[in-house]
Amino acid sequence: MKKWIPIVSGLLVGFIAATISFADFSGKTNTEAASSNKSNAEKVYVPFGQKDDYYLFASGGHSGQMFIYGVPSMRKIRTIPVFSQDSATGYGFDEHSKKLMGGYTWGDLHHPAFSETKGDYDGKWMFATDVGNSRAAVVDLKTFTTKDIIKVPNTAGPHCAAFVTENTEYMFLPTRFAVPVGQKYESLDDYSQKYRGVMSAVTFDEKNVKLNIAYQVALPPWSYDLSDAGKKGSADWAVMTTYNTEESTTTMEVNASQADRDYIVLFNWKELEKMVKEGKYEDVDGQKMIYPEKQKGGIYLVPVAKSPHGVDVTPDGKFFIASGKLAPTMTVFSFEKAFKAVENKEFAGERNGIPILNYKSVMEREVNPENALGPLHTQFDDKGMAYTTMFISSEIVKWDPKTGKTLDRVPVQYSPGHSVAAEGDTVSPDGHWLVALNKIAKDTYLSVGPSHPESMQLIDISGKMKVILSAPVDPEPHYAQMIKADKIKTINVYPKDTKNPDAVYKQNDTKIVRKGNEVHVYGIAMRSRFIFDHKAKRPDVIEVNQGDHVFIHLTNIDFDEDITHGFAINSYDLNMEVQPGQTNTMEFTADKAGTFPIYCTNFCSALHQEMNGYFLVKPKN
Amino acid sequence: MNDSRKRHKLSITSSLLITVSAILIVVSLFFPWWKMVFYAPQYPEGLNIIVYPNKLQGEIDIINGLNHYIGMSNFSKENFPELSYLSYLIGGLAVLTLLTAILRNKKVLYGLIGIITIGGVVGVLDLHFALQKYGTNLSPKAPIKIDPFVPPIIGQNTVANFTTHSLLGTGIYFVIAAFILLLIPLWKDRKK
Repeated sequence: MKKWIPIVSGLLVGFIAATISFADFSGKTNTEAASSNKSNAEKVYVPFGQKDDYYLFASGGHSGQMFIYGVPSMRKIRTIPVFSQDSATGYGFDEHSKKLMGGYTWGDLHHPAFSETKGDYDGKWMFATDVGNSRAAVVDLKTFTTKDIIKVPNTAGPHCAAFVTENTEYMFLPTRFAVPVGQKYESLDDYSQKYRGVMSAVTFDEKNVKLNIAYQVALPPWSYDLSDAGKKGSADWAVMTTYNTEESTTTMEVNASQADRDYIVLFNWKELEKMVKEGKYEDVDGQKMIYPEKQKGGIYLVPVAKSPHGVDVTPDGKFFIASGKLAPTMTVFSFEKAFKAVENKEFAGERNGIPILNYKSVMEREVNPENALGPLHTQFDDKGMAYTTMFISSEIVKWDPKTGKTLDRVPVQYSPGHSVAAEGDTVSPDGHWLVALNKIAKDTYLSVGPSHPESMQLIDISGKMKVILSAPVDPEPHYAQMIKADKIKTINVYPKDTKNPDAVYKQNDTKIVRKGNEVHVYGIAMRSRFIFDHKAKRPDVIEVNQGDHVFIHLTNIDFDEDITHGFAINSYDLNMEVQPGQTNTMEFTADKAGTFPIYCTNFCSALHQEMNGYFLVKPKN
Repeated sequence: MNDSRKRHKLSITSSLLITVSAILIVVSLFFPWWKMVFYAPQYPEGLNIIVYPNKLQGEIDIINGLNHYIGMSNFSKENFPELSYLSYLIGGLAVLTLLTAILRNKKVLYGLIGIITIGGVVGVLDLHFALQKYGTNLSPKAPIKIDPFVPPIIGQNTVANFTTHSLLGTGIYFVIAAFILLLIPLWKDRKK
């Protein structure tokens, strides 16, 4: 009789209790409304326990490194050594990284580029180029370490970005400096005949983590500046800006600034790929070289206001925007119009054997914000609006590529080169944040003498543009990319690799093996000791004879996140690191006799100071 | 005679309860029975030693890497021979329970409850002595000298910068549930 009353009321009470305990009453609309009322400080404050929404990967320029920042806090998180030695991580000291460096000690890391899937960052790999020593590199985003470096022949200074195609089919490396093929000696009087601006098509073998050069294109001896791959409907195409089409060979500041128009090189990489497949190339020292004046097709020139810097494809893939640098204009070009012009052969002659498209038949509109000077580079937000850095008038200008109307502008301190918006060069930019990469900091931070750091300024672009934070940065970010943090999946420790003959995971497997004058040490590092030979009277001592060739294979058997060990030999100029679970090798000749302490350089534990041993080198006589 | 047999016979419901009990005992084999979580300022996420009837899981390597600092020996399957046969004992117990369900004899049930009670006590003592051995048998050469200690089977303990929490695992709750299921028939089929 009325048995259901207690049952129903019981359920009801339980339900209410559960709702009160677990329901999230902080609705999304509430937080969003609150965020617009936040002060600048509140917008960038990321308390302990929370993390930034974005990773910012900034090129480190002539430091040869890459800098990782968190956005919006603008806290620096990590330096990744890529083209330069870094004793802090042993990069360029251990065998793997020493080989990658190829004998060079520094590099000039310019434009970073994430691997992409369907035109969006996939968070797996990061590519970079070295203007200093003509190399390209790939960084693994599982470990934030450099995995491969390739030296690019026939080219000198692949400045203009490693820019990747929509599904990372290719990374193109156009060159800043023209040199003779093979970088042979040729008189500068023969510049126009003997010099070339070679562009390389680099492929990435993801399985073996290897970069390869698929083919090269011997473009005219001009300087190639920035570039971008097409998207969606223009995915098979790519664009890059040129300057010094004057082919001047001295005082370029003046001589390369004479012609009223330079060019955008527009090329179809699918067509170039086909030409290579059909054997339409010449073999130049093992490289497949396309000479555009001989192997015709696939490459066109689009006239553009003189000495342009940036060329950026809109997220919808319909337009490319060139920035004038010396001219105050941004020019919006239409891919569709360009394709039609190519089809109808609307050419205005040729330059160095490459057809020139008629400017008028490709140009969509010229955009000229009032008093804005020195447009360099454009990023986009989630609504497709363009943000262009103005180097000379030191500001960011927001404008609509569809109408050319200026929407907003904000001064930055000072002289922005590039800027980076959240995923701002993909098919689906996120909006909200933009970081201006300023070349001059001057009076922004506490003075450190005549020269100052560069400056990165965080701009909230969710409403009216507002600079809300400045962060100093070492020389020198040229370009950066900003990726949603959850796209990157790092590992906590290196997994055991039982197939690695150099790895030792058990204390009892440690040993020192001598083969003639080669000494192989199979050791481990753990909190807080080294064990090189568990059977020895002193397991943390390595004793060799002067002149011996020494290989030290060291495995960190602390499979514990962030327990990294260092390994240095005092006065032997050697240091490397082993991250948790990692095996690394150091190879050198023990040419100095004497007694040399070994110690852990990366503070690991309470008894880190005790984590040491001796490297004893017996004199020859 | 017939009457007395009837008095010792368990009801069908009881038999079913005992069958469920047998199943729960088998199920418990696939869950951890006991665990210890180590928290330290540097390990806010906690390091685990998770004990299954047949294996150890958790961050054993990390814990073993650390415990030499206080001179404690390593946790490993080799140091716990119980893990190599415990699951067979538990399996055997499940078979006995199932037999009890089939025989439906009260005396057999008394016997089973007795075995489980003794097994439980032995198990608790075994774990206690293992913990005592680890906590009191510290190497005199350890870099950090601490007083010998015995962590509790359930509850907290503090060792250097670590706070340990000993907890019962899901598996043991299944066993407790199984045990309760065995007690119900005693009350249900009590002499009226």
